[in-house]
Amino acid sequence: MARDQIVVGLEIGTSKVCAVVGEIRTDGTVKILGVGDAPSRGVRKGEIVDFETAGKCVREALVDAEEKSDVMIGSVYLGVTGSHVTSFNNRGAVVIPEDREEIDDQDFEDVQASAREVSIPSQNMFLHTILQHYYVDGQDGILNPIGMLGKKLEADFHIIHGIGNRIKNSVRCVKELDIEVLDVVFNPLATAQVVLDQNQKNLGALVVDMGGGTTEYIVYVDGAVKASGCLSVGGDHITNDLSLGLRIPMARAEKLKLEEGSVLLGHSKPGEMIALKDETGFAGKEIEREMLNTIIHCRVRETLELLRRELEQYNFLPYLGAGILLTGGCSLLKGIDQLAEESFGLPVHLTHAHTMSGLTSAFENPQLSTAIGLIKYAQAMQPERPRRGIFNRFLDKLRFLY
Amino acid sequence: MIELPRHSLDIRTPLIEILGIGNAGCNALDRVILDGLHGAGAVAVNTDSQALAGSVAGRKLQIGASVTRGLGAGGDPELGRAAADSCLDELQGVIEQANVVFVLVGLGGGTGSGAAALIAQAAHERNALVVVFATLPFSFEGKRRTAQAQTSLSVLRATADIVICFENDRMAEAVSPTAPIQEAFAAADQTISQSVRALAAVAARRGLVHAGFDEIAAAVRGANTRCLFGYGEAKGDNRAHEALALALKNPLLDRTCLRERAESVVVSVSGGADFTLNEVQILMEDLHRNLRDDVRLFFGCATDPQLTGTLTVSILGVYGSDTPLPVVNVPAYLSSREHPAAAPSLAPEESFPYSTSVDANGSADEYAQDDTEDEVEPEPEPEMEPVLSSVRTVLPPTRPPFQPPSPQRLREQRAEQMQLEPINRGRFEKSEPTIVDGQDLDVPTFLRRKF
Repeated sequence: MARDQIVVGLEIGTSKVCAVVGEIRTDGTVKILGVGDAPSRGVRKGEIVDFETAGKCVREALVDAEEKSDVMIGSVYLGVTGSHVTSFNNRGAVVIPEDREEIDDQDFEDVQASAREVSIPSQNMFLHTILQHYYVDGQDGILNPIGMLGKKLEADFHIIHGIGNRIKNSVRCVKELDIEVLDVVFNPLATAQVVLDQNQKNLGALVVDMGGGTTEYIVYVDGAVKASGCLSVGGDHITNDLSLGLRIPMARAEKLKLEEGSVLLGHSKPGEMIALKDETGFAGKEIEREMLNTIIHCRVRETLELLRRELEQYNFLPYLGAGILLTGGCSLLKGIDQLAEESFGLPVHLTHAHTMSGLTSAFENPQLSTAIGLIKYAQAMQPERPRRGIFNRFLDKLRFLY
Repeated sequence: MIELPRHSLDIRTPLIEILGIGNAGCNALDRVILDGLHGAGAVAVNTDSQALAGSVAGRKLQIGASVTRGLGAGGDPELGRAAADSCLDELQGVIEQANVVFVLVGLGGGTGSGAAALIAQAAHERNALVVVFATLPFSFEGKRRTAQAQTSLSVLRATADIVICFENDRMAEAVSPTAPIQEAFAAADQTISQSVRALAAVAARRGLVHAGFDEIAAAVRGANTRCLFGYGEAKGDNRAHEALALALKNPLLDRTCLRERAESVVVSVSGGADFTLNEVQILMEDLHRNLRDDVRLFFGCATDPQLTGTLTVSILGVYGSDTPLPVVNVPAYLSSREHPAAAPSLAPEESFPYSTSVDANGSADEYAQDDTEDEVEPEPEPEMEPVLSSVRTVLPPTRPPFQPPSPQRLREQRAEQMQLEPINRGRFEKSEPTIVDGQDLDVPTFLRRKF
C-alpha cells in the first residue's frame, strides 16, 4: 500500500465552489496538484438553496480541477457548514467490568458512545465526536488509556451536530455527479488543519474563517477542540449592506468592496469621494469614502463582536496563547486584522494554508484554506497511516451517511 | 367515594367567568365549551332569544328584552348598549364572584359592539382582571361595520386589561382558498377557542410550573398595552420545533413585533404525560432567539392526559404602546383610501365615536371618515376616559375642546410608522433569517444601529 494517494477536497461555498486535488505521499507530505473553482450560484449562507444550479457549479469546479491536475476525480471529502451546525462539549464515562482491569479498545468505543448519549433535536445528526481528554479513575491528562489499569474511564468530547437533511442535501448534490463522498467535514475543522500547527493547537488558538456567506470559528485549547460554530454572516452581507446603503447594484457593490473597501475609519480625507465609472456610458456616481468604510466597518465589527460574545460565554479568550488566525475571503479586507485586534484584545494573524508543497499560489490564497484543509483532514483520517494523536482526535465515523 | 371539600382552605383560587356576548361571542363560546373547558364558568349573553336558545352554554342571560323585544340588536351598537344598560344588575350578578373575566365578542354588530364595553367596565370596577377576545369583521362586511368595530375596540382597549384582537381578514389567510365557508368560520372560532383555553389554563394555575398570570396582570393593568398571541400544536418526533414554529406563524402573532417590542411574554407549554423536559428546553431555546434579552418571560408548563402524543405551545406577548392602534391594523381599504383634508367640523368629535352616532345619526360615510381620522391622528390616551362616561350616560355631557396633536406627538407617530415599514433585507429577502440575540442580522448593521 506504499503508494501515493490522490485526495480531493470539495467546498461548496457561498461565493465559489472549489475543489483541490492533493497527493498524500508515503512520507506523509502533501502536494497540491491542482485547484479548480467556479463561481457559486444557488448557495446562500453556506447552504444549498437551489439544488440544480448548485449541482452545475459543483460540476464546473470538479471539471476545472480535473483539467488542471490531470487527475480523474472519483471521490471527494466534502466540507459542510451553515448556521444549523452547532456544537457542545460532553463527558462520557464507562465502568470497566469487574473481571478485567485493563482498559481496551472496546471501552474506548463505549466511552465515545456514552458521550453521544445526549439528546440533540431528532432531525439532527452527529457530524463529529472529537476527543478532548481522558480521565482514568479521575486522573487527569491521560493521552492514551488503552492498556492502562483502571476502574473507570471517562473522556471529554466535543460534539458537532447539524440538521441531517441539510447535510445530506450537500452530499446528494455531489453524488448526483456520480462522485463518491468519502467523508463530510465541518468546514472550520478542516481549515484548522492547515492554518494551525501542533504547537499552536497546544498554545491555544482561535481560527476564524470569514467566507462569503458564513463566518466559522474553532477554538483549540491544550491541543483539543474546545468550541466550534458558524455564524450566518459573511462577505455577502457586507456587499448587501453596501448595495442597500449606497443604492448601487450588487455587482457594483461587490467590486467596490474588493477594490476600495476598508474596515478602518478615519483614514480617509474628509469629503473624499470615489468616482464609480459606469460601463454603459452614463455619468458615474460619486460615493464618499468614509461612508463606504463606515458601512463595512459596522458590519465587520458587529460580526466580530458577536463572535467575541459567544466565546466569552465559555471564557476561552485568556487561553488563546497563539492568538487569533483570520482566514477566508473576508480576511482580504483592508485593516480587518487591526479591527479584530481591537475587538478581541489579542494578536491577530492573517493566515492561509501552509506546510505543503506544490502550487504555492494555491495555498497562499486564504479563500482556499478550507478546501486544502480537507486534504489534510483526509490525511489525518487515513487508517493505514495512523499519525497518533491527530488520528485519535478525529474519530468521527459517519457511517450513517448513505 | 369520599368527596373532599374543594375549598376547605381559605385560599382564593381564581374564579374565571367566560362571557360570550352577541351572536359571534356566543358562537365562539360554544366552540370553547365543546373543545373542553375546565375550571371556568361560561355564560352566554345575547339580545336575541332564539340565538340564545341554541347556545350550549350552561348559563344564559338575555339582555334588553324590553328594548329589543327578544330580537337581535340589528347591528346598532346603541341598541346593544341600551340593552346591556337595562340589565346591568343581572350582568353584575353574573360576574360578582369572578376575579378573572374573559369576554368573547364579535365587534361590528349591535349587541357585541354595544354591550361588551359596558360589561368589561362593570367587571373592571369589581377589580376583576378583564381579558377581551375581540373579533373584527371581514372587510367585505362593509365600512360601517368596520368603523363600528374599530370604535368599540378603542373603547374596550381603554377598559379591559388585556385585549386580544382577531382580525377575520387575517384569519381568512390561515385557511386555504378552496375551504368551504363553514370551515373558514370554524377556523376563526377555533383560534379564539385555543387562545381562551390557553389563557384559562394559565389563569387557573394548573400545571407543573405556573406561569404568573397575576404578574402579567400587574404588568398589563393600567398601562396602555397591546397583545400578540400565538398557538401551536404538533405531534411526532419533532413536535417541540413544529409546535413553536406554528405558534410563531400564527396570523395574530407579528414576529417582528414580538422580537423587537414585546416586554413580557407568557409561554404555556402543555402536553401528554409523555412530553419531556428536553423538549421544553429545545423549545425555549428556539423561542429565546425570537425575543429580546431583557424580556420578562413567564413560563408555564402543564400535562394533560388528553394531549398524549401532542405538544401545545401558547405564546402571549405584551408590549406597551404610547400611541393608539398603529396604522398597520387599519383595514386596507381605509388606509389606502384618499381622504381629502379632514373636515374641521368633524375633528372635535373624533374621540366621541358614540356621541357622533347619537348626534348625527352617523351615516356610513361619516363613520368611515371619522374612523380614518381616528387612525391617522390618534388621540392621546387620557382623552379616552370621557368616552366611557358617554357610553354609560346616553348623551355626552360636555365636550372638551379639541386639542391638535402636538408636533412631538406627530413625530413619535411618524417614527412608529417608519418602524412598521417592511425592513429591507436586500438579497436575503427570501432566505431564512439569521437571528441572534433578537436581531435580524440580514438587515444592514448601519440601519439597525441607525447611523
